[in-house]
Amino acid sequence: MSTSNKETILKRLTDAVIVGDPKTADEAAKQALAAGISAYEAIMNGLAEGMKTVGDKYEKKEYFLPDMLLSADAMYAGLNVLTPHIPKSQSKSKGKVILGVVEGDIHDIGKNIVKVMLTASGYEVVDLGRDVPTSDFIEKAKNEGAQVIAMSTLLTPTLMSMKTVEDKLKEEGLKDKVRTVIGGGAVSEDWRTKIGSDAYGKDATEAVDKVKLLIESIKSAVELMKKEGKKE
Amino acid sequence: MLHYDRLMAVLNGRKDDVDRIPCINSASVATIEFMKVYGARWPAAHKDPVKMAKLGSAAHRSCGLGNVSIPFCMTVEAEALGAPIVFHEDTIKWPSVREFKVKDKSDFRIPKDISKAGRVPVVVEAIRLLKKEFESKVPVNVYMVPPFTSISSYLVDSITFLKWLRTMPERVHEFCKETVNVYVEIANLYRDAGADVITLHEMGASTDNISPTHFDQFVKPYLKEIIQRAKLPTILNICGSALPIVDRMVECGASAIAVDERTPINKARETVDKIKPGYPIIGNVPAYGVIHAGPVEKIGEFVRKDIEEGVDAVAPGCDFWLETPTEHIKAFVDAAIAFGTPSKKV
Repeated sequence: MSTSNKETILKRLTDAVIVGDPKTADEAAKQALAAGISAYEAIMNGLAEGMKTVGDKYEKKEYFLPDMLLSADAMYAGLNVLTPHIPKSQSKSKGKVILGVVEGDIHDIGKNIVKVMLTASGYEVVDLGRDVPTSDFIEKAKNEGAQVIAMSTLLTPTLMSMKTVEDKLKEEGLKDKVRTVIGGGAVSEDWRTKIGSDAYGKDATEAVDKVKLLIESIKSAVELMKKEGKKE
Repeated sequence: MLHYDRLMAVLNGRKDDVDRIPCINSASVATIEFMKVYGARWPAAHKDPVKMAKLGSAAHRSCGLGNVSIPFCMTVEAEALGAPIVFHEDTIKWPSVREFKVKDKSDFRIPKDISKAGRVPVVVEAIRLLKKEFESKVPVNVYMVPPFTSISSYLVDSITFLKWLRTMPERVHEFCKETVNVYVEIANLYRDAGADVITLHEMGASTDNISPTHFDQFVKPYLKEIIQRAKLPTILNICGSALPIVDRMVECGASAIAVDERTPINKARETVDKIKPGYPIIGNVPAYGVIHAGPVEKIGEFVRKDIEEGVDAVAPGCDFWLETPTEHIKAFVDAAIAFGTPSKKV
């Protein structure tokens, strides 16, 4: 396969995500596989590149929610074709995140965008959907061995659910194993401090950055514990 | 000067006539303390006109707020069009929608008699009660959620609907056109019952959600239509980032615009004065971070800054936070009196 052909196909994947065209993303993903491009490369250098541009445009207020949603559709269309072709050994996840909109709220646009951005960045996401009971976040985090719980709400009335999850994590002594990140229209840095959550993401891009930091913080805490354990 | 004359002067383009800058809230004025003090708890106060009127006038009675305001809910119009509402019987929670009902134009339940649809009659009766007590003394504000926010947040699955702005624009227009008359008729029922001001709370159309171009295409025409046909003073209120669209908000033709803390007043003032010098801007004291959180000095500081930057009425730009202490609302009103009275400014 010529380099230029490969580049053309990868660019087609990237562009399909940027313009939010699921049909072209699906076609280009199949084209990539047929041309012998590895599924991993097609995702990382094709789809994820596109999503990065989309994230930048969103931050710069060139893109808005409808654009983000269509780009997300395009990315999933590509992922559906490519993911089954990734060898197990290559699909190393950077970490596992439990994600959901808290109880009483069904506004899940922001949550879905975060999901796309996390997936594109190599995290394994367990999506609990919307209107998620507080106990489900904790049960799932335990069962799945996730490092992060990410919660969102658009509405002010449902903010208290986030505090309930925080309190339960503390009660069960899970705070050093599971970190939390919160976001959504009604959420603020003030609120994060008030309830003792570990991080606040003002938008999807920042949420992904915070997840990265949180998972690193857990890893370094584990390293530290190991080292200290050896000393004993 | 009475509260009524003060706000009406601002909304009718005679803001130089006021003795001081009005201090109002054109969104929800409900707090948990008011619910207890006035015996008007949720959910009862959503469905009982007497309780609704009590809660809607509590901030005026207890703190001297310059208006009364009802209802306390974003779903009155959506309910009238068929959205199933959950009222959370045992706790104090905002009414919410559990399920998006509308997939096709025919799924809207256009009421035959709008005056009997959902909670419209409750709001109408509460307006009558408030009007009876406060006529020409305190302005009766009633807020509504216009088609774009109402449909995209409470009737159609939000994700599907927002994608349609790009993929099926004609369908978005079809849905808005199908229902716009219901909103106009509700506004007119409110006016006939005695509402002095209608606030159109279009929170779904901020630039946190949609582009200025989409605002022009899908939001402005329907707001214009409602404002033109409602024939009473109106406030167009958009919480969330709205700086890139303040000019477009002005073009909708309301008597004033209201914004929250995500739209800086000095910059909004600059833009607005270029197209309509002196056009009234209402806002933008943070409902959570300042009025709810306090302390009292910080509330005063923010109110002073807002007045210096050029607001024509001091307001939160969004609902009072439910847990707001009454003394903070008092401090908010007192600060507006202290800093908004010309003789005291010198």
